[in-house]
Amino acid sequence: MGIVEAKNVTFEYVKRDEEGNAEGFIRALDGVSLSIKRGEFIAVLGGNGSGKSTFAKHINAILYPGEGMVIVDGKDTKKPENLWDIRQEAGMIFQNPDNQIIGNVVEEDVGFGPENMGIPTKEIWERVNEALKAVGMYAYRKHSPNKLSGGQKQRVAIAGVMAMHPKCIIMDEPTAMLDPMGRKEVIRQVRALNDVEKITIILITHYMEEVIYADRVYVMDKGRVAMQGTPREIFSEVDRLRELRLDVPQSTILSHELNKAGFQLPEGILRREEFVHELVKYVGGRFYGGSLESVKEPKEASDYTKPGMTERDPRESLILDKVTYTYEKGSGNEIRALDNVSVQIGKGEFIGLIGHTGSGKSTFVQHLNGLLKPTSGQVYFRGEDISDKKYRKINLRSHVGLVFQYPEHQLFEETVFKDVCFGPKNVGMDDKQTELSAYEALRSVHLPEEYYFSSPFELSGGQKRKVAIAGVLAMKPDILILDEPTAGLDPKGRDEILELMRDLHENKGITVILVSHSMEDVANYVKRILVMDKGRIIMDGDPKHIFMRYKELENIGLSAPEVCYLMRALRDRGFDIDPSVTTIDAAVYEILRITGQGA
Amino acid sequence: MLREITLGQYYSTESKIHSLDPRTKITGTFIFIISLFLFRSVVTTITAAFFLAFVISLSRVPLGFILRGMKSIVFILLITVVFNLFLTPGIPLFSFHGLVISDEGLKVAAFTAVRLIFLIIGSSIMTLTTTPNNLTDGLEALMNPLKVFRVPVHEVAMMMSIALRFIPILMEETDKIMKAQEARGADFESGNVIERAKALVPVLVPLFVSAFRRANDLAMAMEARCYRGGEGRTKMKPLVYKRIDLAAYFVLVLYLALMILAGIFAP
Repeated sequence: MGIVEAKNVTFEYVKRDEEGNAEGFIRALDGVSLSIKRGEFIAVLGGNGSGKSTFAKHINAILYPGEGMVIVDGKDTKKPENLWDIRQEAGMIFQNPDNQIIGNVVEEDVGFGPENMGIPTKEIWERVNEALKAVGMYAYRKHSPNKLSGGQKQRVAIAGVMAMHPKCIIMDEPTAMLDPMGRKEVIRQVRALNDVEKITIILITHYMEEVIYADRVYVMDKGRVAMQGTPREIFSEVDRLRELRLDVPQSTILSHELNKAGFQLPEGILRREEFVHELVKYVGGRFYGGSLESVKEPKEASDYTKPGMTERDPRESLILDKVTYTYEKGSGNEIRALDNVSVQIGKGEFIGLIGHTGSGKSTFVQHLNGLLKPTSGQVYFRGEDISDKKYRKINLRSHVGLVFQYPEHQLFEETVFKDVCFGPKNVGMDDKQTELSAYEALRSVHLPEEYYFSSPFELSGGQKRKVAIAGVLAMKPDILILDEPTAGLDPKGRDEILELMRDLHENKGITVILVSHSMEDVANYVKRILVMDKGRIIMDGDPKHIFMRYKELENIGLSAPEVCYLMRALRDRGFDIDPSVTTIDAAVYEILRITGQGA
Repeated sequence: MLREITLGQYYSTESKIHSLDPRTKITGTFIFIISLFLFRSVVTTITAAFFLAFVISLSRVPLGFILRGMKSIVFILLITVVFNLFLTPGIPLFSFHGLVISDEGLKVAAFTAVRLIFLIIGSSIMTLTTTPNNLTDGLEALMNPLKVFRVPVHEVAMMMSIALRFIPILMEETDKIMKAQEARGADFESGNVIERAKALVPVLVPLFVSAFRRANDLAMAMEARCYRGGEGRTKMKPLVYKRIDLAAYFVLVLYLALMILAGIFAP
């Protein structure tokens, strides 16, 4: 028998109205059956609301099935006497790294579980040290969790579960709130635990690149298991996955698209090397093979001109002139968050801002609407110095809208509509104008009208975010800055937000600045990229040119979209391919061109 | 602004005082405070001053650091002094515009000020040399007998330690929310008191919502890690008295004896 057996599990939430009376049921799980073997690495995929988190909570008896049963290591989760055994055997890691660390010191947090289990002091220490070593956090054992990065916090949380000597670990979107480096760090750790310690892993996620290592994948939709199989089997059904609004790795999607154009590559290709191998094998004889001399080398960094940006009118621009910003000035431990940054942001641009965590992106964007004042240097908006005493800040705020990370956390009013009115009212619109622009803003984010007068706290995560964005849009900004607007959203929510950005840019002429960790999103949407590192803007150009410098990007903890690496790999095999391709569509076109099939 | 308050913030170094058991330090502080209130003569005050100086020198916390922390209470101190100075009846020494300073008033004000300073320095020595966790552990252990009266000692201690963990997180969050609302044109800096208080609503509501969400998450994470209250729990870092604690208690008794003697023979 497997370590986790779910038989026909059904679970319903009671939906309540404002007075707390039961209105009806929401079926979160609808007849889920699955069986997980000892030592397996299982991935559970699904969009928001698919029931995947609800299912996870059944495995360690935080929730009990309404109908059906869940058996963990031979024990029924419904029986109260099994509760503590099950929670010890099936450890759980949650999404938010901050909200699951109890201790004020790393080692104390790891010891929390064993303390609860009543383990003798000496053994607690052994377990804690062993667990911290297993996740590579032993050197940090005396640190405060608040000083750690997101990835490190999640590793501490994993150590906390490991110290309880579990047989399986369930991870509920453990990487959703992390940056790409933190994500890799955690996944590497999880795979090591599975390989070395033989712990069964159940990883719930919506990031595809994390799934390809799994032994088996379950895809959930509307409370049911919609698909199951090996990663290869799952990813062979690209169309079905798209229907479920899930992502597919770029190698998989590229081979799928090529097949649509008449190629015969195997479906379900997961990795870069595999793709290159299969393509070379398939194209083989038909390969027109330009010699390497004919391959255009990418231009050197110095000689590219900033494309299409020579015409920026300074009277319409936001200009940073030699801006430096220092945190904690004069305290001895100064941090220079911005270091002599000069940049011009013209009217109607669509800009991506990338850089690893701590590179100064947030400090940079807060200068653009005057939330932070430069320690030295000037910021000009339409020719006026915004740190001038006579300059009206409120004027700037209405022209430059800034949407912070997780903006839904700033909602506060009774109704969605009132909340959206907050901004326009503050910048001095009269009642009629306020309501008009609030209405317009809500329409432009495509929030269904039935929600306008309900409480913002009743909406789903993606909807809340749209409301928060509308709250800034209602101020009618000319420039809209979004700090990681897609963080924590599932692929469907992400695409909706990004499409919204494109729409605002193209149809309303709004200048958009998108701060993002996702190179794919940046490549697909923006026209100009600013790369930040250590408080400086070290690159500024269009996506093609920026991503050609992928080696430099890697040196500062970034990367290029996967498709850029695919193109590179093909070029290394002698294909006369344009290495500056950054999107799937362009890659398909390019491969068809060089193989002579597109003509 | 909040970050500037150093009163009682843990000062990380190694010293004899740092290595004491938290129970010893709590008891010591308690005895010191009581002694300040029981005895009010010049001699006892000087004795207390010597004792305090002795403890500070052992603690290796720079005096400057301790005094800087006192800045935040200067205002309270001033009010106390002023009230005592003018409102204590006695033989008038000076008077202007109907305000009278008496000899008794001068004396009381001086003593009160000194005692208040001693009290605050004394208790901040405890928090300066003890990590918040250790302090909570110490309190839990000392209050353990109250369990007989159904005081939820373990729960209170757990709450305190969780509060300590989340204070910096919530402070950061407040900062973020304020900035987000400022970006939407909110103004926290102008207007009268009522207007300013009203301006805080858009900060407080999200802050509470977030605090509840975190509490909910944390409760679930704790349960998932088998937390079920204090029953049957073991300790990773149990409190154990060491030799140095014995010495400290001995010094404490000596101090108390001196104070009592001074109180009796030099009132």
